[in-house]
Amino acid sequence: MTAPQHMVAAWDLPTRLFKWLLTLLVLLAWVSNKYGSAIPHWHIWNGYAILMLIVFRVLWGFVGGSTARFSAFSIKPSAALAYLRAQWRGMKPHYLGHNPLAAWMVLALLAALAAQAGLGLYSGDEDRIVIEGPLAKTVSDQAVAFAAHWHRLGFKLILTLVTIHIAAALAYDLLGKYGLIGAMVTGRKPADAYQDMQEAAAGSAAHAMLCLLAACAIVFGGIYLLGGNPLQ
Amino acid sequence: MRKIIIFSICFAIAGAAAIAQGFAQEDPVAARQKLMKSFGAALKPIPDMLKGAAPFDLAVVQKALATIVDGTKELPNLYPEPPKPGEKSRALPKIWEEKARFVGTYEKLGKDAAAALPLITDEASLKANFGKVAGNCKTCHDEFRKPE
Repeated sequence: MTAPQHMVAAWDLPTRLFKWLLTLLVLLAWVSNKYGSAIPHWHIWNGYAILMLIVFRVLWGFVGGSTARFSAFSIKPSAALAYLRAQWRGMKPHYLGHNPLAAWMVLALLAALAAQAGLGLYSGDEDRIVIEGPLAKTVSDQAVAFAAHWHRLGFKLILTLVTIHIAAALAYDLLGKYGLIGAMVTGRKPADAYQDMQEAAAGSAAHAMLCLLAACAIVFGGIYLLGGNPLQ
Repeated sequence: MRKIIIFSICFAIAGAAAIAQGFAQEDPVAARQKLMKSFGAALKPIPDMLKGAAPFDLAVVQKALATIVDGTKELPNLYPEPPKPGEKSRALPKIWEEKARFVGTYEKLGKDAAAALPLITDEASLKANFGKVAGNCKTCHDEFRKPE
């Protein structure tokens, strides 16, 4: 019998809520496209919600919990190489927040989803009868076709990134017992000699609310300023 | 003289039958594309009505739905074989691999359009009932039409 492990805070509540809400909404984006043809507004509002979450996460990266801040991301290529080398040698480098590869994955997922949602705003079906993003009317038909083409291919990129992301998390937990997935649920990780920080400081709930309100204003205001009506 | 008249009438009937035959044998690819284009043209004004950008026009909506109801009766018969190499068609091989299901999507479209016809009387009922009809277009195109 080992003594119960001492647990430390790793991810604050807004970061976790963001993560799982985004997961759910990405899943629903696919469902609403595949099965929601009769309710085009479902897919459109699902996209607005994803854009809002992404803007929230970007803002939260500046004022949020210590592990969620971009300043805690080690994105230098040298850091990624050093991390890979250490893993290869079996040194099991542990990070309380994102390890250097995971930081890249977070940024890649956010960028891909932002691009996908952005393209969606300008997309429409070929005949412009079934579904149309709020900004499709502001550009040429060729631009809409271009956006729709990449909106369709963008899903494949997201699927690839998500597959790698899930496979990596499962590999860490099943092969290495890192407890990453549990930590994303409970917010806590077993204490360890972490490379980045020993315990996370949570962001404030007031800041989270402000970030969310700002994200809402930026998304809806942005669409409006670009000449579209998000409530069409 | 009588003989000539009777002969001419028979000749004319035969000629008309031959022309009708010729129409019936119109290239099925061209025929289905023409019908599909007529759907697109008939539906085109409706999205603006849904967004409030154009006034609701019952005649336009009813004509569009009738175009679909009529067209979907003919369309299932216009896919006799997969496109030959070089033929200008976006029909995917899946149509002939799952012909029954493909034909079923046209039947559903026709049925949904016919059901919507008496239900749509104003802007609100258009909003409530149009999506179910138009959604069929997307569902089928996503699966059976080659993307651009």
